[in-house]
Amino acid sequence: MTSAPIRLQPPPWAGATEAGTGLGADRANEVGPEAELAVELDRVSAYYGARRVVREISLSVRRNAITAIIGPSGCGKSTLLRCLNRMHELTPGARVQGRIEYHGLDLYAADIDPVAVRRTIGMVFQQPNPFPTMSIHDNVAAPARFNGLVASKAAENELVERCLRQAALWDEVKDKLKAGGTSLSGGQQQRLCIARALALEPDVLLMDEPCSALDPIATLQVEHLMAELKRQYTIVIVTHNMQQASRVSDETAFLTMGDDRAGYLVEMAETIEIFTNPKEQLTEDYVSGRFG
Amino acid sequence: MSLSALAVSARLRSTSRSRRAKDRALEVCAWASLIVALIPLVAISLFLVSQGIRSLSLEFLTSDPPGDLSATGGGIRNAVVGTLLMTGLATLIAVPTAIALAVFSREIGGRVATSVRFVVDVLAGLPSIVVGIFVYSLVVVATGHFSGFAGAIALAVIELPVIVVATDELLRLTDRRIDEGTRALGMLRWRSFLSVFIPTALSGIITGIMLAVSRAIGETAPLIFTALGNNFFTLDMNEPIQAMPLLIYRNALNSAFPAARDRAMGTALVLVLIVLAFNLLGRWIARRARPADQR
Repeated sequence: MTSAPIRLQPPPWAGATEAGTGLGADRANEVGPEAELAVELDRVSAYYGARRVVREISLSVRRNAITAIIGPSGCGKSTLLRCLNRMHELTPGARVQGRIEYHGLDLYAADIDPVAVRRTIGMVFQQPNPFPTMSIHDNVAAPARFNGLVASKAAENELVERCLRQAALWDEVKDKLKAGGTSLSGGQQQRLCIARALALEPDVLLMDEPCSALDPIATLQVEHLMAELKRQYTIVIVTHNMQQASRVSDETAFLTMGDDRAGYLVEMAETIEIFTNPKEQLTEDYVSGRFG
Repeated sequence: MSLSALAVSARLRSTSRSRRAKDRALEVCAWASLIVALIPLVAISLFLVSQGIRSLSLEFLTSDPPGDLSATGGGIRNAVVGTLLMTGLATLIAVPTAIALAVFSREIGGRVATSVRFVVDVLAGLPSIVVGIFVYSLVVVATGHFSGFAGAIALAVIELPVIVVATDELLRLTDRRIDEGTRALGMLRWRSFLSVFIPTALSGIITGIMLAVSRAIGETAPLIFTALGNNFFTLDMNEPIQAMPLLIYRNALNSAFPAARDRAMGTALVLVLIVLAFNLLGRWIARRARPADQR
């Protein structure tokens, strides 16, 4: 690795077309050590119409680490997450203020294509949402195919196998790749959705309470998977479950709701610090279960 | 048994007794309404079969009618072919237009979508004779002659709102989570519709199309001033063309002639059987279109 700073190439999504690809995880290695941070938020506020739901949050997401966002219901965790891949603005009347930088690039600059951002910063949702009319194979292959990421049938099969292996699902589905995506169990469906997101070769993976619809065993499987994935990807996870945050994450941000009913950042630190030695009384109350 | 337990048990008994009576009454009502609904259906079917069956023969389906309404013999081949041609072309026009309308009004939203839906609702409520006059002044007057094309356009106008409403309703049901999934994967919108939303809604859309076809195939009024009808066999859609409802209408008007009356009844039976066949076909296709685990 070189010590001289290496700037990112022109934004990979600038003027991206249907065939455009995102910034591959492998290419992220070209960035020097100062690119330790994948995403930086500077006084980010999010609105639904006139109502502010996230208030001036500034925090940094470390590369190849798992960052957990915890906090009580309604404190804007999911909204904040959705600002990171420009999903928030899809809700009518929703908007974002402040600056979000991805490897130093302003994600909300005028020449940035939000569709390309979503290809580079993947997302997994609370409820598994495989495409109901597609087979297991197609659920993984189709989005990559539509984005021009597969050159041949053989390459497609290879991609499907690789992503399903990465998502720790391959052994369970390799004999029924033609079966419907919705025929799987909830936990398998969620891993299928993770495989589907990985097929686009994202750099960052956003997970919005990915285990809240899963049983404890499926939850454990997804958590193991996350620990594997962080070697290659940067992960941001929103979770209700504090044990989960303490088990899987490297850093934790604790959000709560202010008097204006907007969520704000109370503190962010190494996960171990948050759970054993928090600086703020609010954090301590929350992680020890004394929160109102 | 303590007093309170007695009171409780008394209350439970009385409640359950009155509930049972209500339950019973509702059940009787349900059966009664089923029978009331079935009476006309069974009566019409029996009437049609009893009146029409004696006209049915291979010749009836494969020969054309005699020019004279009062003459016996001949068949309705020209009307069956004309109906299938016009309904087929109407469906080819209406299906893509209706699906595109539904998709765009869903996607664009706001005032445009509201006005599109309003226009479609008005169209759905339009008396079919008005559709006939409209297409007459638009196509027949412009081209200077009656034609199968004009008839097909009129039937397409009849089919359009039925398919738009069905498609719109089904796209509305498309899961928000699936929608978000396609967004988060950076799929372009036309891709999402083509590859995810429409396939998901397909079985319902097919049911809507079959409903529209069943409606259009039996329409008479829009064809009177457009297709006009004739007494000979033609495949030329640019000429006046016969249709089964038109044939029924003209022959039934002259039911003083037994031959005309029988011909009308036989045609009505064939028409109903064709509609029935379309419905069964539609159900079969709709079931096939559904993913295997939801059949």
